[in-house]
Amino acid sequence: MGSVSTNLVLIDKKCRVVKKIYLKTRGQPIKAIQKGLDFLGKDLRDENIAGVGTTGSGRMLAAALLGADIIKNEITAHAIAGIKFKPEVSTIIEIGGQDSKIIILRKGIVVDFAMNTICAAGTGSFLDRQAERLGIPIEEFGSLALKSRNPVRIAGRCAVFAESDMIHKQQIGHNIEDIIKGLCEALVRNYLNNVAKGKELKDPILFQGGVAANIGIKKAFETALNRKINIPDNYDVMGAYGVAILAKEKIEQQKIKTSFRGFSSKDTSFNTSGFECMGCSNHCEIIEIRSNGRLISRWGDRCGKWNEWQNLDVI
Amino acid sequence: MRIGIPRGLLYYLYKPLWEKFFAELGLEVVVSKKTTKNTLKKGIEVTVDDICLPVKIYHGHVISLKDNVDVVFIPRLVSIKNKEFICPKLMGLPDVIRANIKDLPPIIEPTVDLTSSWLGFYRAVFEVGSYFTNKNTVILKAFYKATKNFKNYTQALEKGARPDEILEGCCNLLSNKAKFKILLLGHPYNLYDPFINLNMIKKIENYGARVITPENFTETIFKTHLSKLNKPLFWTLGNKLLAAAYQLKERRDIDGVILLVSFGCGPDSLIGELIERWIRKNTDIPFVLLTIDEHSGDAGLNTRIEAFMDMIERRKAT
Repeated sequence: MGSVSTNLVLIDKKCRVVKKIYLKTRGQPIKAIQKGLDFLGKDLRDENIAGVGTTGSGRMLAAALLGADIIKNEITAHAIAGIKFKPEVSTIIEIGGQDSKIIILRKGIVVDFAMNTICAAGTGSFLDRQAERLGIPIEEFGSLALKSRNPVRIAGRCAVFAESDMIHKQQIGHNIEDIIKGLCEALVRNYLNNVAKGKELKDPILFQGGVAANIGIKKAFETALNRKINIPDNYDVMGAYGVAILAKEKIEQQKIKTSFRGFSSKDTSFNTSGFECMGCSNHCEIIEIRSNGRLISRWGDRCGKWNEWQNLDVI
Repeated sequence: MRIGIPRGLLYYLYKPLWEKFFAELGLEVVVSKKTTKNTLKKGIEVTVDDICLPVKIYHGHVISLKDNVDVVFIPRLVSIKNKEFICPKLMGLPDVIRANIKDLPPIIEPTVDLTSSWLGFYRAVFEVGSYFTNKNTVILKAFYKATKNFKNYTQALEKGARPDEILEGCCNLLSNKAKFKILLLGHPYNLYDPFINLNMIKKIENYGARVITPENFTETIFKTHLSKLNKPLFWTLGNKLLAAAYQLKERRDIDGVILLVSFGCGPDSLIGELIERWIRKNTDIPFVLLTIDEHSGDAGLNTRIEAFMDMIERRKAT
């Protein structure tokens, strides 16, 4: 469950993708998960599901709704999926909705990674916003960039600078293809100078995450690096795919039964509420998830007194 | 008389010295309470946007103290080592505080400047002491006891205890049971304030690691390793970080290095780069840079720490 998209993947025993769905989160993560569950569960029964894993910035929430057996960060998940697709992969470029990462692997082991620091400039949501501002469907963004003959230079260091630069360029008459291509180049420049700074990008290189759909960005990477960029078949759901593999491994190794809540979760009403804990001066913001009024999960505190719900028998 | 010590910045390095000195002079020492959301909020209200997070939080601590104490102790640390300096923001700290916060009690603001001679230290000690007594012997005696206390503190640090453990009074965390050893590099005010760093040390140790910090290394280590530099840096705190990284070539027991910097730190923009390049070139120890600012949502930090620990675990397993 990412900031922009919520993706569900169903894999079989041999780690092949049986079904997948890419949904926009649109600020309503619970709805998105339920919709995805509805799609996956069409011709399946609860018993068909051997294990569940969640990843992404909404992994805690997703785990509470689904009953996950493993909750993993998206870096590890993307690395696992990348290795599955191409065991000899050395570099994974991943650009998602709010994060961009680089993962460096050697002989199937992650040896280094980096993520954008506290600023989210140059990620998917920024591209979305620019596409919307220009009135172009995001799906056409990339192909439009390829039509450019004379890309303009856009300031890429900061999304706010980039936007004002784009507006200036548009107001003096540059055509839209050239501006879009300039933006793709700026984004790639920003990525290579910040996220990938000081890293050795060896072949083979995989490009994963929602932004990999954007052919303009792929092309800009290939031009800047003078290297071939591979895009996996399931590029848009690689995080979900990776954590599915991890869930499978865990279930098989530990021989445990899944804690999957069942497909009926798609119709269960889940409510989230929050409150500020006044127990100490930290005033932590606590989030509670309830299913049909019953508390199923709680987190957000620093001291752990609220999220120890799992140890309580009453729940 | 009540003297207030703000719990921020170099407090984490010098608390055992300052507190003991003032107590021996017969003062009631009031240390501001641990950093909270409110400390930060108060600090942000009075400071300019560009200044770093630890300085903003320091402001919050001064505000929380000012109405409860008779004087407040805000030393001006210019230089604590020959030809080296403390960060410029800390050099001007009393002035910045005075400009930003109204209705302050008198500030005790000794200048500690050892650039020309380390007699400068004694000058500062007598400058502070003479506010409260005119007997030099009393000052000297108090200072002697304070340095003894401080020495015990640094010795405990060199044996492996961390300042956060000592200052919180819990030293049972020294077990060797940990699966990994992580070197956490950063300035003391970022490392030992769990509010600023979103409880990072605990987060890392929850993965079965023991966190060690630059404060755990002896002065000899720093001297030996800094001699490798063509030209020493200007900043004492930066030199310390750099030396802590430089010794990694000879150490085989560190499984990973995390460098924690606050957004907008001038010296660290340079030192961080030096450290990162050096570690990558000379060792194969996993390294990650984490930046902190006002963020109170810790999801991003959790992701990075979890991925980092995963990486270390998987690497070790092969």
